[in-house]
Amino acid sequence: MTSLFDLPFEDEPDPEPEPAPEPPRVPGRPAGSAEILSVSQLTADLRNVIEAQFPRAAVEGELSNCRSWNGQLYFTLKDASAQLRVVMFRTAVRLLRFKPEDGQHVVARGRISVYEPKGEYQLICERLEPHGLGALQLAFDQLKRRLAAEGLFDESRKRPLPALPRKIGVITSLDAAALRDILTVLRARHPHAHVVIRPARVQGDGAAQDIARALAAIGRVPGLDVVVVGRGGGSIEDLWAFNEEVVARAIVRCPVPVISAVGHETDFTIADFAADVRAATPSAAAALVASRYEEVCGRLLRQRERLRSALGSRVLRLRGRVQRLESAPALAGWPGRLAMRGRHVAETTHALQRAVRGSLDRAARRLAGLHNRLEARDLRRRVGLARGRLMQADGRSRAAMIHVQHRRQAQLAALAGRLDSLSPLAVLGRGYALCWDADAQTLVRDAAALGPGDRVRVVVSRGAFEASVTRIEAVTGEAGTPNDRPER
Amino acid sequence: MSTPDIKDFEAALVELEGIVRKLEEGDLTLESSLGLYERGIALSRYCHARLEDVERRIELLNERGELRPAPANLTGGDDPERKGGR
Repeated sequence: MTSLFDLPFEDEPDPEPEPAPEPPRVPGRPAGSAEILSVSQLTADLRNVIEAQFPRAAVEGELSNCRSWNGQLYFTLKDASAQLRVVMFRTAVRLLRFKPEDGQHVVARGRISVYEPKGEYQLICERLEPHGLGALQLAFDQLKRRLAAEGLFDESRKRPLPALPRKIGVITSLDAAALRDILTVLRARHPHAHVVIRPARVQGDGAAQDIARALAAIGRVPGLDVVVVGRGGGSIEDLWAFNEEVVARAIVRCPVPVISAVGHETDFTIADFAADVRAATPSAAAALVASRYEEVCGRLLRQRERLRSALGSRVLRLRGRVQRLESAPALAGWPGRLAMRGRHVAETTHALQRAVRGSLDRAARRLAGLHNRLEARDLRRRVGLARGRLMQADGRSRAAMIHVQHRRQAQLAALAGRLDSLSPLAVLGRGYALCWDADAQTLVRDAAALGPGDRVRVVVSRGAFEASVTRIEAVTGEAGTPNDRPER
Repeated sequence: MSTPDIKDFEAALVELEGIVRKLEEGDLTLESSLGLYERGIALSRYCHARLEDVERRIELLNERGELRPAPANLTGGDDPERKGGR
């Protein structure tokens, strides 16, 4: 940078004009004449002389009384013993790359002229540069300090890049290598990228404004995930647009995260400080975006795999447990055994039912016979009782095991035997007779209850007859025997 | 595929990671494992769809704010001067 200022001054301001062998080069006015001039004429003459003498001046001094008015800048340049008025017109002010402030040591270049209304000579400054430190460096430092104080570069303001950057805005020059680099990287590593390019001039006059406009415009594109703004490498002058305040502010205002990608590995630009993420080069910015995409793809694939294997192994574990249980000795063969048991139970039940039914049928047949035989007798109660018990036995038998059935059979047989033995017919068959009182209501068990002349009804094995009592014999303990005899 | 209760891609991915962790810890009933698994598959499908539902496209945003397909020399694949070399 200093090289700029090492140039020899082309036009040393010289307070004493060279003694001219000829009169001043003012046409039509001979020197030495005492012609009376108006103030305007003299001033105009002076102006012509001065402007001709100092068409290009470079003056070094300290800035003071610095003020701007209507886009123009006025200040005084001074050193220990003199001062010079300076004016900068709007076009020159626009090219300023730093903010002139009182006390700055500067070099002002331009031409000397006369401001006729005031009769003052002044430097019309076309370029103003800080002395020593480069103008750009100074401008950079000033802007950086100012924006930092405003909080524009705060880490807390930085937005994270989206996990899945799909729609990517790119702001750069359309014909620069930077754009091709970005597209090449994205093509290779982010096959689903949707790229929206907003062309912008990235160097030269108005580049900063163009970039700022582009940022505003691309911020209005719906669904954008991230914006890359940048250019390839170059000199500090080439990159200057990225050190301008408008760009920094446009980056901060952009509604989606911004990656700065100004091709300069070592130095940072103001845009780098303002951006949410800084990439060293346009390719690096594209790689950053692509790596987010790749990372997320990888993450998803891994989760998918783990999801599958997690459930898979869970099912396998459970299946293994079930299989182990199935093959455990305690359970092994159970199905077969159960089937066998089932068949056995079915067969047994069937046999039981058959047996019970058969014996019940037999019993019922015998009972029916007995019933018939007993029908006329007063044994219904007993038979009913027996039937009830039989039915009960029947019900219980159906559910019982074989030995129960056997017991029931035995019981049935016993019951039948008892019924048989209780049958008066059997007794009558053996020669006994039943003797009823006259109205056939009461069996005669005591001879004392009768008297001669009473009528009785006598039932024998086959048939019955009526008889009258002729004589009552003495009532003794063994009443049976005498009664036997008369019937023989 | 509509999965109404998924906020966005990132949320879906984070939820999926949580489900996988839970499943891997393994102290769940088979029923809740299956429920989680189904949810996980839905999330994974959603994420994949989101990853792939953008077609590679290069557009230019012009001064009037209109989006136009980028000229062929930018879209790469069919760029004649880039063919046959890197």
